[in-house]
Amino acid sequence: MKKWLAGVLIASITVLPACGSNTETASTTTTGTKEEPKEVTLVLGAYSVPQEAFKKILPAFQKQWKDKTGQTVNFQESYEASGTQARAIAGGFEADVAVLSLEADIDTIQKAGLITNDWRTKPHNGMITNSVVAFGTREGNPKGIQDWEDLAKPGIGVLYPNPKTSGGAQWDVNGIYGAGLKISEEKGKKDPAYAADLLKRIQKNVKALDKSGRASMTTFENGTGDVVVTYENELIGRNLEGQKYNIIVPNYTILIENPAAVVDKNADKHGVRQVADAFVDYLWTADAQRAFSEKGFRAVDPAVAKEFEKQYKTPAGLYDIKYLGGWTQVRKDLYQDGALWDQILAGK
Amino acid sequence: MIVKHVWLKRTVQSTVLVYFLLLIVVPILGVYVQGLSEGWTKFADSVIQPIAWDAVLRTLQLAVIATLINTVFGTLIAWVLVRYRFPGRRILNSLVDLPFALPTAVGGLMILLLLGPQSWLGSFAKSHNIEIVYQQPAIVIAMIFVTFPFVIRTIQPLLEELDPAEEEASYTLGASRSGTFWKVIFPAMRPGVIGGAMLAFSRALAEFGAVVLVAGNIPGKTLVASVQIYGNVESYNPTGAAAVSVVLLTLSFLVLWSVNLLTARRDER
Repeated sequence: MKKWLAGVLIASITVLPACGSNTETASTTTTGTKEEPKEVTLVLGAYSVPQEAFKKILPAFQKQWKDKTGQTVNFQESYEASGTQARAIAGGFEADVAVLSLEADIDTIQKAGLITNDWRTKPHNGMITNSVVAFGTREGNPKGIQDWEDLAKPGIGVLYPNPKTSGGAQWDVNGIYGAGLKISEEKGKKDPAYAADLLKRIQKNVKALDKSGRASMTTFENGTGDVVVTYENELIGRNLEGQKYNIIVPNYTILIENPAAVVDKNADKHGVRQVADAFVDYLWTADAQRAFSEKGFRAVDPAVAKEFEKQYKTPAGLYDIKYLGGWTQVRKDLYQDGALWDQILAGK
Repeated sequence: MIVKHVWLKRTVQSTVLVYFLLLIVVPILGVYVQGLSEGWTKFADSVIQPIAWDAVLRTLQLAVIATLINTVFGTLIAWVLVRYRFPGRRILNSLVDLPFALPTAVGGLMILLLLGPQSWLGSFAKSHNIEIVYQQPAIVIAMIFVTFPFVIRTIQPLLEELDPAEEEASYTLGASRSGTFWKVIFPAMRPGVIGGAMLAFSRALAEFGAVVLVAGNIPGKTLVASVQIYGNVESYNPTGAAAVSVVLLTLSFLVLWSVNLLTARRDER
């Protein structure tokens, strides 16, 4: 009896860690040999929205890489909310390539010391796709919603996710806040108090603060709310799947920029540096850019963007994160503990 | 032989202890350590800041309501399942545990689909100006759903074990039906009612999966503690998350401890 118990204990002690180190030993052998292995595995840690586009991009890259090097690339894909994914990678999920919703999430991985390359020097500052913050309304826009002020009108049900739980939702709230600044600027001077007030009045109309952009979209789909504030590509994607939402791009809205980067420490450890670099570079090719555009993103590649021009309306008042002072400033002004977002929720 | 026996006992004991320490005690202590890692002031700040405090109070309130409803109906259901014989009783009896077998998010989703604005019930309620989903009623419903089995399952064995002779004696001695119920039957059920209710309460306090879907999660209105904690986890504020968790944990611990004391005292009698 005692021996049996001890046996189980010993077995569990020896087996469990062995499971964890399997990948490690496999990869050291691949780096150790001079000859390139026949197969490599690339671990992709991404946020959930581009999943549809990746269904087309990954096979295309696999084919291209095979033609070029004779090597077969296997992908291990993980899709999570952007912030969750960033935290997972920073906390030890060994992704070779990170594709996330916002720069701040790549920063999280960088701060953990896993990204050592200067990813911002890549094409388009490391951004692979763009989008804008837009409104989705019910078919035919029955409440006549056109601009930010309409969202604050009494009786309008608004949806957007909670920026505290969804990094991606910060784009939406940035969109409102920045629009407030722009509107006040148009009237004379850039007034943070007006922007804060606009956000506060819109927040009063919010029906549900879901935990992610996807969840917010689902809530809207289930019949709650008159308007959902979200990424334009998400709305286009929904309409491509048969929904008939009206997509409204207000005049003042923020340009969403989504980055991708090689996670150096992991790629080197797994000995897949070359293919990881090639994959991230591939995301900027016309083929990949087209695949993103087909799912509703705006291409960063100007030529492809031109091809899909008709899919979007680009308002004159489009601004980007720099208008708000960049992510570090935005985090300090809006999302840090006790900052504007907390004050608005606390009803101050 | 005796020596061997002692060794076996010690091995089993220490294995259990290590297991318990590693899986239960250490993670929970970790929460306390993390929650208090930046000192009492930071801890107090995280807990009494209006959003967090409001969420804790709301959670307590709604969990009490859900617990009361579950206690009343759970007692009734247990009674019916033990005392009455009717077709379908066995099936009903096995259905009781199903909320435990279901991911709570699926429970939440079902509530959304059944009571949401597009559903028959939801539109009926809406036409009478009652809002259920994304409001507090939905949170209570979600809590009731996930804690449904507790009260029933703690009362059932007590009722089954109750010696029919005790009841018969009571009737023979001339007691009325209600007299028998309150003096003979209910005292036997009481530990089950209390124990089940307390378990249901502490589980309702911590419910996340179903609630996050149906609650709307608006601070000051429909945000419960578990979702508030999740928000803190997601926005890189582990200390804030742990601080509110410490409050929930301490409450739950007190509740469970008092249940233990209560049932222990009854065993001694």
